[in-house]
Amino acid sequence: MIVCVAVVGHQNNPLYIQSFTEADDVLKLHHIVHCSLDVVDERVNNPKKSSPTLNETFLGLLYPTENYKVYGYLTNTKVKLILVTTDLDVRDADVRNFFRKFHAAYVDAVSNPFHVPGKKITSRTFAERVSTIVKSFGLSSAS
Amino acid sequence: MEEYPEELRTPPVALVSLVGCPDLHATVTTHLHSQQPPLNALALPDFSKISMISRPPKDASLPPQPVAGILKKDWLLKHRTRVPAVVAALFSSDHVSGDPAQWLQVCTDLENLKGVLRGRNVKLVVVVVAPSNSKDYLSEDRMIALRKRAELDSKYVIIFVPSETELQQLGNTFSELANSFYKDEGRRIKARLEKKNFHSAELNIRCCFKAAVYAEFCRDWTEALRLYEDAYHAVREMVAASTRLPPIQRLIEIKCVAEQLHFKISTLLLHGGKLAGAIVWFRQHYASYRKLVGAPEVIFLHWEWLSRQFLVFAELLETSSVTSQHVSPSVPDATDRATEWEFHSAYYFQLAAHYLKEKNSSLELAQSLSETSGEVDGNAESVTAAAYIGQFAKLLEFGDTFVMQSLSDEEYARYALAEGKRFRDSHEIIALLKRCFEAYNKDKASRMAAFCGFQMAREYFTVDEYSHAKEVFENVASLYRQEGWVTLLWNVLGYLRDCSRKSAVVKDFIEYSLEMAALPVSTNVAGQRDCGPAGPASIAQREIIHNEVFSVIRGASESEPTEENSSLIVTADNPLYLEIDLVSPLRAVLLASVAFHEQVVKHGAETVISLSLLSQLPLNVEIDQLEIQFNQSECNFVIVNAQRSHLAAISCLQPGRRVETATTLELRTNKWLRLTYNVKPEQSGKLECIYVTARWGQHFTICCRAESPASMSDLPLWKFEDIMQTIPMKDPGLAFSGQKAVQVEEPDPQVDLKLDSSGPALVGESFIVPVIITSKGHSVHSGELKINLVDTRGGGLLSPREAESFSSDNLHVELVGVSGQESEDLSNSENIRKIQPSFGLISVPFLNEGESWSCKLEIRWNRPKPIMLYVSLGYFPQSTELSSQRAHVHKSLQIEGKTAVVMSHRFMLPFRREPLLLSKTKSVSDSDQIPCLPLNETSMLVVSAKNCTEVPLRLLSMSVEAVDASTCDVKSKSKDPEEPVLLVAGEEFKQVFAVTPEVNLPNLNMGIVCLRWRRDHGDGERLATCSTASAVVTKHSLPDVNVEQPPLIVSLDCPPHAILGNPFTYSIKITNRTQFLQEVKYSLADSQSFVLSGPHNDSTFILPKSEHILGYKLVPLASGFQQLPKITLTSVRYSAGFQPSVAASTMFVFPSEPHFGLKDSGEMRVEPVAAE
Repeated sequence: MIVCVAVVGHQNNPLYIQSFTEADDVLKLHHIVHCSLDVVDERVNNPKKSSPTLNETFLGLLYPTENYKVYGYLTNTKVKLILVTTDLDVRDADVRNFFRKFHAAYVDAVSNPFHVPGKKITSRTFAERVSTIVKSFGLSSAS
Repeated sequence: MEEYPEELRTPPVALVSLVGCPDLHATVTTHLHSQQPPLNALALPDFSKISMISRPPKDASLPPQPVAGILKKDWLLKHRTRVPAVVAALFSSDHVSGDPAQWLQVCTDLENLKGVLRGRNVKLVVVVVAPSNSKDYLSEDRMIALRKRAELDSKYVIIFVPSETELQQLGNTFSELANSFYKDEGRRIKARLEKKNFHSAELNIRCCFKAAVYAEFCRDWTEALRLYEDAYHAVREMVAASTRLPPIQRLIEIKCVAEQLHFKISTLLLHGGKLAGAIVWFRQHYASYRKLVGAPEVIFLHWEWLSRQFLVFAELLETSSVTSQHVSPSVPDATDRATEWEFHSAYYFQLAAHYLKEKNSSLELAQSLSETSGEVDGNAESVTAAAYIGQFAKLLEFGDTFVMQSLSDEEYARYALAEGKRFRDSHEIIALLKRCFEAYNKDKASRMAAFCGFQMAREYFTVDEYSHAKEVFENVASLYRQEGWVTLLWNVLGYLRDCSRKSAVVKDFIEYSLEMAALPVSTNVAGQRDCGPAGPASIAQREIIHNEVFSVIRGASESEPTEENSSLIVTADNPLYLEIDLVSPLRAVLLASVAFHEQVVKHGAETVISLSLLSQLPLNVEIDQLEIQFNQSECNFVIVNAQRSHLAAISCLQPGRRVETATTLELRTNKWLRLTYNVKPEQSGKLECIYVTARWGQHFTICCRAESPASMSDLPLWKFEDIMQTIPMKDPGLAFSGQKAVQVEEPDPQVDLKLDSSGPALVGESFIVPVIITSKGHSVHSGELKINLVDTRGGGLLSPREAESFSSDNLHVELVGVSGQESEDLSNSENIRKIQPSFGLISVPFLNEGESWSCKLEIRWNRPKPIMLYVSLGYFPQSTELSSQRAHVHKSLQIEGKTAVVMSHRFMLPFRREPLLLSKTKSVSDSDQIPCLPLNETSMLVVSAKNCTEVPLRLLSMSVEAVDASTCDVKSKSKDPEEPVLLVAGEEFKQVFAVTPEVNLPNLNMGIVCLRWRRDHGDGERLATCSTASAVVTKHSLPDVNVEQPPLIVSLDCPPHAILGNPFTYSIKITNRTQFLQEVKYSLADSQSFVLSGPHNDSTFILPKSEHILGYKLVPLASGFQQLPKITLTSVRYSAGFQPSVAASTMFVFPSEPHFGLKDSGEMRVEPVAAE
């Protein structure tokens, strides 16, 4: 189950962060997302020679915490998309698929002429769309 | 890792026992230690001590007991320190070859030793120690007897003579035997394993462990690793199966054994460089035991155990960190791929701390439960570790004997709880977090570090170490501020606020409270668990904080002091002053934007200033009083809130300060409070608004640095928020380009400054620049004239090469002096304050309105150079200097400096008279050689001076100043002009001097030509200026000349002109000036224009000091300029030829007798210029 998704801007500031848990551990998820930015930085600054392509946007598993797995995605405009999940067995393809949809939603949200680039995303439509994607993530992995 | 016994932490070292000959033990032991691989030695001084390595008697009659545990605690230690692999019996050679009694003793000792060793397969070596020279004296049969008694192969009965090589051999034998011992033992155990002749899993694990240890002894790491892994897996299988112990203790034992096995495996993997493998192994270990939490009452033991796993692995990683940098995660399986942080020890430290914290909280819970149930544990101290790893037993005392009794689970839980109380884990957690905080910082993972720092500070906070907590929280908060993680920042600030509240630091408390109240916390983040003392981040909470802080600010009078706020009061004794600068996090609390409506303002005129204040506090704030501060403090003013003027502290104002009253000074959330006032600057220059100070009550002040709207940056955290943004000023132009500073102009000068100049300046003359000051409205008080000479091309007026020797000669252009008006001479008066070569400062006397004053600047050019002359006049329009502003007038003028005259010179010999100068004949080609002059012959010097300016000049005189009159006679051939010669632009003036050298010198200094001249001012001005404008002397130094004694002089003699058909005489006179007879060859070439009579070719001798004349009669055949027949003379002695120049051998032939107008022209001669 996805517990948290986030969009992080150029200055590593959160543009959108939403948790999907019953338990009130929002703060902890914020910490996890924030810490995962270090891994993103490291991946971006020291790309591995073995990585398949330089243009790969999907950063893969960023780091496992005790209960969560954190995945990252870096758009061409250097906006970071972060996913925190409690599933221990996640297929890479599912995550990629999720990020592709999430990215599309983000692009649509910032293409809104009333959105000021660099500001937080407050669009309700975006939030609804993201929560739909998050819900469908669990379904697609089950199928 | 330090908790583990040493034998577990270090790789096993084989043990050798030495018996007998104690004096040799030290040498042998040291050698064995230094061997590669090293051997440990168990030294027994004599054979009576051998019983300690004997096997304890086993009572075979007892039935096989049920297995009581998995691993015996002391087994490893025993094999490391007590059970040797090899026993070396050392006998002295004296004893072996000595009398029968000694021999018998040797035999007995050997028998005893064999008896002891029989049970274990310990290898035996007999060493006969011989003195260095008596190796051969040992009897052969005694040795054979010894060998037979020992039942040993001959190579294990060694005759040992102490020396380095023998020691080496001995060591090799020992290690070989030890290796075979461990191998045998291992083989034996493995055979058991293969046969599977044991009934319980415990024995299986034990055998695997033992075999692995033996393999380690043999340094067979792969085998050891495999066996350890087998043991580990067997332990894992036991979890569900075993029922031997009560469930809690069973799990404890299993975990304890698994921990040790895991430790061994990790160590072996890491030492083998398999970093990725070790990490994968650890992950599996963690995954398989993570869920085995055990019984709920001792759940803290599980967390502690888990924490220890992470800590130990972190320490292991750290010790092998050298390799970790180079090993890249290369496990191909994508799901198993380790992420970056799993290679950093900090990750494990962090989790260790996390689980330790978990342990802490569950321990507290368990303790509170046990306290409520009222159990008091009295016999905890009697519980001790049992003989098996991970087991505990009660030690019961029966008189002198101690009996171990197994524990029930309840007893054990009580014991564990009591043990848990004894340790304070907070400091351990802090230490762990500090380690990973530092490690993450080192790896530049600032966010991870911040998270660790946050946890660390929280731990400090719980143990009431507020100063430490504050320091770390501050550090963390700055990162969150910078990256705009508002929720996290809110949380940290909440802790910080509580820290300052608890340590009663009012200023910090108010700063943090204000910052929190002004944080852009959105509404959707609500209902958080573990949100710290700040409460959930929400607008409601912000408002609560806002009200709380303003009640403190307003003083306790408005609100009842709560218990915890009692120390936080702002009073007269404890006033508070906050300063908000451009980088302060409190900018969101109060932001002051100040703009002048104009960029430049006239002196004495009023200008308008707009003042805008913005606050992001959640509730409206009423300011009591505002003070606007400028760099010119006279302009400062105060704005008082009309509604709260009774509260405002007017008393603290300085008297005479301007006070404005505003109807309201209420700051609304995210709304600019705009105020506009007039300001009248008092001084010229820059007027800048520096601070806007807001006051609440009498004792609370926020001093906010004023910002220009043009260069104002966004509010750090609010800029990410999607809120309405408004411009600070109503006028958008002002909002985007307004400045907080205005330029105040100087008062306009009403005085004319005029510089005159008459064309270019000439090098050498004193160039006069008149300066005229005319007052046109202002009277001039204490005027000052500043004069500056500046090179137009930049650079100084000195040439760089000459800069070191600063003297007036080196200056290209210098200010020589200033002369006053007409007859008034300023040079001695006090008015000239300062004159320097390129700078002058002159006082101007008082001038009334309409008056004028002038002076003349005298500037001398030493080199041609264009310069800029800057003259500036500063004065006070009023007589009282204090009140008025100095006015300035500036003027500049570019002046070219030019060379006036260029002089050149030329030497000429007399016409048709040619001395033979030997030095000339030698190097003809050298053009720049010094000129040669014949001794005692008169030569001509033509000096010309050319005017290269556009200005007409008057030449006064030209003369040659000889250095020494006796060496050379120079006479002017033309008379000095009586009145100065006018030399217009481009004209050349020539003067001829006769030069007769009188001394034969190779380098004769001819002296200097001095030309005196002055500028021509035209006829009308002449009389006036002649007296004042002194002559300028331009000097031209003549080159050195070479004076020579000519041996021969040839002169051609012929009439100045001829008439067609009339014969004339052409004679060539050769004078010999030497003491020798000179032979001269000559030849005369025919000329078409003349008929000639006389010798053509001949050679002749000329007597010393005499002359020879060749005479010819010529009849001209053609008229016009005709070439005379060319004579060629050759001096045989000097091998020097002579040919007259073309000019010298040309003459004019008239067609008939010319008729000149003058009567006495019959005698007229066309005198050549250089003729005598």
